[in-house]
Amino acid sequence: MTAHRIMPRTRFLFVLAAGAAVVLAACGGAGESGTAGDARSGRLTIGVAFETLQTEFWVAAWNALQARAAERQITLLEAVSDGDPAKQLDQVRTFLTRRADGIILVPKDGKTVIPMIKAANAAGVPIVLLNRPADATDAAHTVVAPDNATITRDTVAYLIQQARRSNPRVKAAILVGDLSDVNAVGRRDGFEAAVADAGGSVDVVARIPTDWNQEKALAGLQTALQAHPDIGLIFSSSDFMFPSVKSVLSAAGRWKKAGEPGHVVLGGFDGDATAWRLMVDGYVDATGVQDVFFEVDAALRAILDATQGRIPPPRIADPGFVLTQANRASLEARTWGAIVAKQGQ
Amino acid sequence: MTSDESWIARAKHRGPRTLADGSAFMLAVNVAAFAAFAIALPDFRSPANLATVLVSSLPLLLLATGQTFVLVSAGIDLSSPALVGLVSVCGGLVMSADVGWLANHPAAVPVGLLAMLATGTAAGAANGFCVARLQMPPFMVTLTTAMFAGGLAVWLVHAVAQTETLFNLPEVFLALGRHGWVDGPLAVGAAFVAHVILARSLVGRWLHALGYNARAAYLSGVPTSRVIVCAYALSGLFAALAAVLLTARLETASPSHGRPLLLDVIGAAVIGGTSLAGGRGSVLWTAWGVLFLAMLGNGLTLLNLSDFVITIIKGLVILTAALLDQWRRHWRTTSASVADTVIA
Amino acid sequence: MSTDLPRSPSPAAPSAPDARGPAVPAVSWESVSRSFSGVPVLRRVTLQAYAGRVLALVGENGAGKSTLMNILGGHVPAESGALRLGGLPYAPRTPHDARAAGIAFVHQELNLFANLTVAENLHLHDFPRRAGLPWIDRAAMRARAAALLGQVGLHLAPDTPLDRLSTGERQLVEIARALGTAARVLILDEPTTSLSTRERERLFTLLATLRDRGLALVYISHDLEDVLRLADDVAVLRDGEVVAHGRAADFTGHRLVSLMIGRQVTQLYPARRDPPERASADRPDELGVPRLEVRGVSEPGIVRDITFTLHRGELLGLFGLMGAGRSELARILFGVYSAASGAIRMDGRPLAGGPRARVRRGMAFVTDDRRHDGLCLDASVTDNIMLATLAACCRTPARLVHAERVRATVRRIREAVRLSRAAEERQAVRTLSGGNQQKVVLARWLLAKPQVLILDEPTRGVDVGARAEIYRLVRDLADSGAGILVISSEIEELIGLCDRILVMRQGELSGELARDAFDRARLLAAALPATAAAATGAHS
Repeated sequence: MTAHRIMPRTRFLFVLAAGAAVVLAACGGAGESGTAGDARSGRLTIGVAFETLQTEFWVAAWNALQARAAERQITLLEAVSDGDPAKQLDQVRTFLTRRADGIILVPKDGKTVIPMIKAANAAGVPIVLLNRPADATDAAHTVVAPDNATITRDTVAYLIQQARRSNPRVKAAILVGDLSDVNAVGRRDGFEAAVADAGGSVDVVARIPTDWNQEKALAGLQTALQAHPDIGLIFSSSDFMFPSVKSVLSAAGRWKKAGEPGHVVLGGFDGDATAWRLMVDGYVDATGVQDVFFEVDAALRAILDATQGRIPPPRIADPGFVLTQANRASLEARTWGAIVAKQGQ
Repeated sequence: MTSDESWIARAKHRGPRTLADGSAFMLAVNVAAFAAFAIALPDFRSPANLATVLVSSLPLLLLATGQTFVLVSAGIDLSSPALVGLVSVCGGLVMSADVGWLANHPAAVPVGLLAMLATGTAAGAANGFCVARLQMPPFMVTLTTAMFAGGLAVWLVHAVAQTETLFNLPEVFLALGRHGWVDGPLAVGAAFVAHVILARSLVGRWLHALGYNARAAYLSGVPTSRVIVCAYALSGLFAALAAVLLTARLETASPSHGRPLLLDVIGAAVIGGTSLAGGRGSVLWTAWGVLFLAMLGNGLTLLNLSDFVITIIKGLVILTAALLDQWRRHWRTTSASVADTVIA
Repeated sequence: MSTDLPRSPSPAAPSAPDARGPAVPAVSWESVSRSFSGVPVLRRVTLQAYAGRVLALVGENGAGKSTLMNILGGHVPAESGALRLGGLPYAPRTPHDARAAGIAFVHQELNLFANLTVAENLHLHDFPRRAGLPWIDRAAMRARAAALLGQVGLHLAPDTPLDRLSTGERQLVEIARALGTAARVLILDEPTTSLSTRERERLFTLLATLRDRGLALVYISHDLEDVLRLADDVAVLRDGEVVAHGRAADFTGHRLVSLMIGRQVTQLYPARRDPPERASADRPDELGVPRLEVRGVSEPGIVRDITFTLHRGELLGLFGLMGAGRSELARILFGVYSAASGAIRMDGRPLAGGPRARVRRGMAFVTDDRRHDGLCLDASVTDNIMLATLAACCRTPARLVHAERVRATVRRIREAVRLSRAAEERQAVRTLSGGNQQKVVLARWLLAKPQVLILDEPTRGVDVGARAEIYRLVRDLADSGAGILVISSEIEELIGLCDRILVMRQGELSGELARDAFDRARLLAAALPATAAAATGAHS
């Protein structure tokens, strides 16, 4: 009864399996002779894996990479992992099986990136971490990252100089980032160094922990301003917290442009579009800018060097620059936030 | 597969409705997807890339396998991806050379593994208890467990290590995640055992019956509560296995491991043909679903499509599978009212 | 008139009806054929139904009755042949078309929504609007619902949620809904299967009224007694063909059965052995310990002080109207519900725990609602048959199912219950006929070799042939020493099958009849509430 019912099914499966075998065999044959077409044509192929594209900064970096790669006739393999390190590891492996000549990576954190570096090492492919360093490891890689401490120190030194014009003794506050993030630590250290350099003329009345959170910044700054209404300088460890600063200062009647009476000297870090607009409007005095274009160039150059047998240095510092009201016009083209702000209009 | 043929009821009439049914259909879909990508993309068919596809799909295979048990019982487990994070952190807290309870101790790895598997199983069993004994809706229970496990994992890491992730795990443990030869047999073996349990064991058959009609199973003397607890506990256990794999691979214990996989987990099971209404389902079908999603993800990446587009396409595929599930059920019920008069 | 009745033994199709109706049939099927996947279900069926007359359609499950009606109701198109409605060509494409043409369908599986009120259920297709606005006029809806309910003799508040109604009451609601659509033709598919005697009487009075109002009624039923009482014309279908079509007066029950199954039915009920004698005080060992002793079982609002004994080898009937607490008692005995007080002993030892514990002690329960409580409809025949006894086919210690053993077991038991050969073992039971579904349920419990078997409405929706086989199986099981409790609303069934009958009324045992005292009137009298019993007693 059932035998003749099952027969066609078995035969169907058999045909499918046979078909699959033929396809596999064909592919196996092709696989041996076939290579990535790009490698044969002599063009360089670089895999780019970003952890996120959700903030302006990463989009700016992504666009800069594409523009520079196009100029240099480099093919990019692109991937975004949406904050999922497991996915990023798979993406790196895919780059390796596609015989990428190098990999540029924005990792989620300094730890999960290590297996990815090891995988690249094992395949003999150079790997560059963009903007975010890895934790201590003996696996070989290059990091291109801003020198947070130095850029911040220079920025804060400029801010102090501005503040002392009106008042020789400056009361200052800093919005500290999430201290498990090396960037936040570097910026805090740079701030403290600049304060120390200024001798006894700066009195840091508030070090406000924010954990990179707008609400915390808002509440902390409010408290600080109540305790010390005469604060004359505020440094925000990242530009994205300026909206909180604006709201607190407006409420206290201190949201004034540079030059107006009661102006609080303001500075930040990143050089994003918000900061750029606030500088154009005259509220913010200076911000430390990460030089995205430098970082992208350095990353590409590191991989080119490696492919030509030169070993790139383990660490390339992005010197960045301090964007001030004075040099704003001349540095506009190098400030990524300015470009974003212009596109947004 | 033979066991499915002898066990799972199939629609009486052949034709379009059987075409969308069961293992043969998924095999055909997989072969078609493979052939399409292999022809279009030389990179896709390179052995190294195929190995990457298979290896990268292992954590999903484990999670979806566990999910299949729960789906067959007519439940749903939204907590298993979040449990991966909690289990991972538990393992890290035992084994990490920085802050681990048994840092650099020879027993760290066995104790750590045991703690991971126990955590997952216990959390799953707790889900099962709430569903079976307290009669709470599975959706609510597991969603709450997901929130609880996610929060607990982050809190534990912060409280013990003041960081977000744990690092410096023992080399022996990391070897479990080394590309290919260890994790492959481990995951495939576990999935095979799961397949046998679901398709051939007493508990597995009871699970099917209870998914089709819990009242009928109860009135026939099936220990329904125990069987449901068992399904959720197995889902927890497989979440723990996935956590072992992910933690070892990324050499890091983190609360965020596994969490992005939720949609893929349920999607893979449903693409395979496991019914969201319960009763119908097989680990083998789920494995086909996992393979399909993995090939799709890889193939589309090789086409240089952006991640957002890939996510959209995956979402559409899963939606189609859920729709197909709905149609199958519809066919079955409408054909029955007609078929009543055909057979007898 | 049509003579296309190849196997019809003698009677001509009813000629044009008498003065009661017009000469044009309300509905006529002209050589209608239909097949499913190559299996012919209807073969050139020609049939007429007239306004002001009841046409009864009888046949075994699978004879094609439902398909014939589904074609009329727009659920399934005919492959060849034609339909005429009042003489005009009629080809419904959807159930909506049929409804619009004045065809109302009361299905066997009720199409009502338990979460809505009675009034809402009555207006699913046409909620009254408030003067063209998209709001429902609830007052109008309630008034109209009350009128419709009055027509079917159901005195309920229109706002009563449907889930508070008994199955019988829901049936009446379904008919009321059909009346609400201004139907010309009313099709009733097995309307009495879940009705109590009283509700059935009420339904028949109602149907007679509707017929006299000029509706054409098509009545499908397995209950031949009802058919002969109610119908003006009868058509018998067998294997998709009309094998007889004529006036009801020309048929007898016996002849209908023979026509339906195509052979002579000698005996519906199996022969009884000598009645098992009660274990009395002076002969306690004769029958051994009773299978089941129920002592003073009470649960407030459900059953009160139930005491009875079920002996070895005994087939004990339990009769009562719907709502008398019969099914609830069965569920208490099986451990589904708990009882506030009382004791239940099985084979001399107290019974405790839920269904699982009872099954392990050797108890089995065939529920009255096999679709919801009895079967996994989408699971296979094999899975359903093995549900209670799969553990016995497992290899220890891994408890893996021994496929070969399962196959052998299923082969054996399906032979024993004479499950249709067409039913494949891996086929979903949803696709089986009611009779075969019930055989699957029985097969499941026969495998468990029960010492005590409780059957709640074991032949509901089951055709005559399967019925006889079920009776035989139950009798054989009793003869092998099991105690069996049969709950039924069909008096004939209990009288034909049982050794002794208990009667329940409003949660209490109200009577007990030994076999030599079986009597319809006495059973009914004991089952009806005191006042109604007096009235009925006068008639019978």
